[in-house]
Amino acid sequence: MSVPDSANLTGPPTEAAAAIRVVIVDDHAIFRSGLKADLDADIQVVAEASTVEEAVAAVTAQAPDVVLLDVHLPGGRGQGGREVVAGCTAQLGHTKFLALSVSDAAEDVVSVIRAGARGYVTKSISGAEISDAVRRVAGGDAVFSPRLAGFVLDAFGTSEVAVEDELDKLSVRELEVMRLIARGYSYKEVAKALFISIKTVETHVSAVLRKLQLSSRHELTRWAAERRLL
Amino acid sequence: MSPKMYRSTDRRVAGVCAGLAEHLGLRVGLVRAIMAASCFVFGAGVVFYAWLWILVPLEGEEQSLGTPLLDADGTPYLKLFRPAPESSFIANSDTREATATQAGRSLGIREIMVGAVLVVAAFALFSGPLIRTVNVGTLIPITVIGIGAVLAWMQLDATRRAGLLNAANIGTPLAIVRFSAGIGLVIAGVLIAVSGSGSWSLAWSSAMASLAVLAGVGLVLAPWALKFWRDFQKERTGRIRQTERAEIAAHLHDSVLQTLALIQKRADSPQDVTRLARAQERELREWIYHDADETSGALVARIKSVCAEIEDLHGLAVEVVAVGDAELTEQRQPLVQATREAVLNGVRHGGTTVSVYVEAGVKGVEVFVRDRGSGFDVESMPADRLGVRESVVGRMQRNGGTAGIMSSSEGTEVRLYLPIGEPTMEDMK
Repeated sequence: MSVPDSANLTGPPTEAAAAIRVVIVDDHAIFRSGLKADLDADIQVVAEASTVEEAVAAVTAQAPDVVLLDVHLPGGRGQGGREVVAGCTAQLGHTKFLALSVSDAAEDVVSVIRAGARGYVTKSISGAEISDAVRRVAGGDAVFSPRLAGFVLDAFGTSEVAVEDELDKLSVRELEVMRLIARGYSYKEVAKALFISIKTVETHVSAVLRKLQLSSRHELTRWAAERRLL
Repeated sequence: MSPKMYRSTDRRVAGVCAGLAEHLGLRVGLVRAIMAASCFVFGAGVVFYAWLWILVPLEGEEQSLGTPLLDADGTPYLKLFRPAPESSFIANSDTREATATQAGRSLGIREIMVGAVLVVAAFALFSGPLIRTVNVGTLIPITVIGIGAVLAWMQLDATRRAGLLNAANIGTPLAIVRFSAGIGLVIAGVLIAVSGSGSWSLAWSSAMASLAVLAGVGLVLAPWALKFWRDFQKERTGRIRQTERAEIAAHLHDSVLQTLALIQKRADSPQDVTRLARAQERELREWIYHDADETSGALVARIKSVCAEIEDLHGLAVEVVAVGDAELTEQRQPLVQATREAVLNGVRHGGTTVSVYVEAGVKGVEVFVRDRGSGFDVESMPADRLGVRESVVGRMQRNGGTAGIMSSSEGTEVRLYLPIGEPTMEDMK
């Protein structure tokens, strides 16, 4: 498959062995170049794309570690970021998607997560924060913004349940973690507040992400239907 | 002046009688009876009915179609043959122009129709004595043609009502049945009238001939009709899009462009620029994601608006994340005020982005306000810091809630909690 014109290649991936290879997908060239400049040195942008088709082609050709994916994209069937994730299902084992948007509407956030993205951040976050998020997603963890944590709590309900490890409910610990993230705590601060390790926080967050993606819980379905997510 | 007459949507045939009854203030049954009775006076009722049907718009139909009015005494007066009043056609925007030309076009058809009806009426009146001598053999085909035409016309009327040939309407089975029944009756009537003799072999061959002619004409006209239809559809979608675009453009002009102009003026003051940009962002978000927020009840909406106010005042972002919602009762007003104080403190002393988390559950409402400032020592909080001690902690305690402050070098967090349904101290006094 040929790589479209706007998917600029920036050298072979062997240049820096430890570097995280990233594809930036966003329809605004100004934002792409700004983001590229903001990212830390160990994150290497291997391609850029501005439409759904270009994004699918670039991701397939480059097999990057992380795709920074705008939720709203032109092209395709008009489904934006969700469609890119759906078009790259063969890559999902290796490539992780991090959704990036100015929109904080529930339908945008949750739909792209349910499509398979590993995290969601708003475009207003700083370069250091986004680099951190990229590293975390590349390492297999999930990245939750306070607002996404709020949506999760809204969808799963905040009343505590005794049953652990059930797909349709959040465990007490997961609820606590989500609450702290919604309050604006970083993972490190969550770990400190709950007297657990950062690794444990990450495990909880990943579990919540999995539940959010896979749960067909009645309330979640209703919640999604109310917001026209299904 | 008497109210304008409309055909009623609650109708038997075309809503003429119901509309007339409403207009004249009479009972529908009476008007229908008079109408039916007058049909036997040289068919005057039929002619009058058809005339009103053509000229009187259906309730809620476009008004600019130069429609005639009825005087208070019920005698209709016609202002159709006069050029339509300019004011009703010339509108101040471009979008109205299309409507105006359309109205003008249908006016032409209308005039022809009215002319034809009047000719028929005149003929009917003058040849009144003749009608009695007409034999049944010609009366039947004419009646059949008439009924067929009425059926087909009902179809046309229905489509006109649905905003000029609504594609969905044509597809309804009833409309198709009505239309084809009308066509069939007209053809049958014409055939009987033309053949006259009633001989079936003759009727059959003439039916084949007329079908062949119709098919030929249809074949010739089909591409033209298709093109016309496509153009019409294109124009319609274009107009809808144009209207939408105009609305969005108007909104962007009123909000975003104005703000951008202001930002350029205040470019030397970063705080003003941030403040303006934040306010605009908030406003635009509200406009775009309006329905997503519709479920929010009063409490969250109030807290959000309070935070927005502080954002505007201080030019620092206040992010509100809300889970659940609650009614904004009298008891919860102090919670909102305490939240406001806490956010103000965070913005003033923290000097950073402030996160607000509201959780309204079954047990109570919890609010967390967190800033990323350098923090302060809660124990040695100076007595003059009335803001926190009095308006946050004190206020919450007086109203049956609790407030806690945690501060470290990484920021300060204020926790407010108000249980649900518990009587406040004030209530008990």
